[in-house]
Amino acid sequence: MKKSLVISGSGGQGVMSAGIMIAQTAVDAGKCATFLPEYGPEQRGGSAKCTVVVNDTEIISPLMAKCDTLIVMNEQAYAKFGKNLKSGGVMIANTSRVTSEITRDDVTVVRVPADDIAVELGNIKCANIILIGALIGAEAGIITEEAMLASLDKKFASKKKEVLALNHAALKKGVEYGRQALKA
Amino acid sequence: MAKILMKGNEAIAEAAVRAGCRFFAGYPITPQNEIPEYLSWRLPEVGGVFVQGESEVASVNMVYGAAASGCRAMTSSSGPGISLKAEGISYLAGTQLPAVIVNISRGGPGLGSIQPAQQDYLQATKALGHGGFRVMVFAPATLQEAVDVTYNAWEYAERDRNPVMILMDGCLGSIMEQVEFPEMKEPDRKGTHAWDLNRVEGEKRSARLLLPYFPEALLEVKNKSHKAMIERWQKNDVQVEEFMLEDAEYVAVAYGISARVAKEAILRLRDEGHKVGLIRPITLFPFPKESFQKLNYEQVKGIIDIELAIPAQMHDDIALEVLGRAPIHDYCRSGGMLFDDDGIYNAVKKIIDGGAK
Repeated sequence: MKKSLVISGSGGQGVMSAGIMIAQTAVDAGKCATFLPEYGPEQRGGSAKCTVVVNDTEIISPLMAKCDTLIVMNEQAYAKFGKNLKSGGVMIANTSRVTSEITRDDVTVVRVPADDIAVELGNIKCANIILIGALIGAEAGIITEEAMLASLDKKFASKKKEVLALNHAALKKGVEYGRQALKA
Repeated sequence: MAKILMKGNEAIAEAAVRAGCRFFAGYPITPQNEIPEYLSWRLPEVGGVFVQGESEVASVNMVYGAAASGCRAMTSSSGPGISLKAEGISYLAGTQLPAVIVNISRGGPGLGSIQPAQQDYLQATKALGHGGFRVMVFAPATLQEAVDVTYNAWEYAERDRNPVMILMDGCLGSIMEQVEFPEMKEPDRKGTHAWDLNRVEGEKRSARLLLPYFPEALLEVKNKSHKAMIERWQKNDVQVEEFMLEDAEYVAVAYGISARVAKEAILRLRDEGHKVGLIRPITLFPFPKESFQKLNYEQVKGIIDIELAIPAQMHDDIALEVLGRAPIHDYCRSGGMLFDDDGIYNAVKKIIDGGAK
């Protein structure tokens, strides 16, 4: 089934690397995927957005008006793309930076203070992994936890063991938040 | 070889290497920077040469020199940079040298925007430089197609001894999707002595001047043979995808990324019983005239030109084939604004509903 995901935040938050990881994970699991980055001329700090589409068969259009799943990593991203989420979709909000009240009641909302959790775990850079975890926990149906863990193993194979452990912990923490949101 | 997830620009670069390209010169510009970035490390790996030129003009002239030395050479840029290379491309055509020019296009005119657009259609198909020459223009819609046309581009360029253009929007340049690469090619160098200053075959060697000046009668002969070549392209080399045209009452025309979004919208319209089809030129030049000639104009109620260019640029080529037998509507965006499925669906639906009244 064709599923679309938009990730948005500001440059440096790991928007693009999260998108590429999800697309690669889907491909490794035998699916088709597209990843489309969009950003301004700034080297860092500007608005960053990417669209990932995952499908069982070849993807015809990688562009769509509304997405099935949305990860917003800061307030501006929520303000700009919050309305682009399909009714019945899943929204993952990094509440460490999305400060306004999320008012949509026609979608599943997972509120994750990802930056705060990431700092607690030891490195703010793993906030994007926490949000991917929340996406998996909320059963967005794009990638599985096992496949994502395998991707992390591959991605951080050349790094120190602690780096991999941190990312595993980040993913698991995110999954918990996703599951809790589903229960609520 | 298994399919791998890769960025459009890098896929073109790798396909060029596998096609036997061993020289690249270019100057940075968004949204094509991954092409030179990739080739800067990849070409030395296979014994090739990568140069970041001091300018676009210098780069295209280095390609000019490399081509004259029998090397498969390429340069890439985006709109503003292609304008700067226009003189060099015209010289390549004038001296009958093969080379591949890639334009990963962005919004224009002028500096325009760095976001994707299809605003260089006229430049690519009508006048890529001064002097009234044409080049074959390939417009892939998927990254696999981009790999395939790049892999074959030098076959056309060397057959014709003429530059070839690959025109792809910035969206496909920056997107990642799965591609499968063909094997590394060992280019056939038989016959290249006709332009290769380094080669002699038997007694034959054609001495060439890189800045030729032709007496007027000879130039006219050259122009005539160029015209004959264009006519051969039109007869033999058109590439097009025709999608659901048999019963179509409305025919969308789109290329590159626009065609993919249009196709998705068409499938949705088909689900609702609307008879919509698509003509997707893969070669923008030669233009797929046949596809329009064989439409049943008793049945076709409208043609819809869908492109990321305002004003529409492909419209005139469509009009020349439709010849008033059906109304032509434009649904366009530009400047870096992209299509989405809803937008094209609604635009076509509106035309259909209007036609039904």
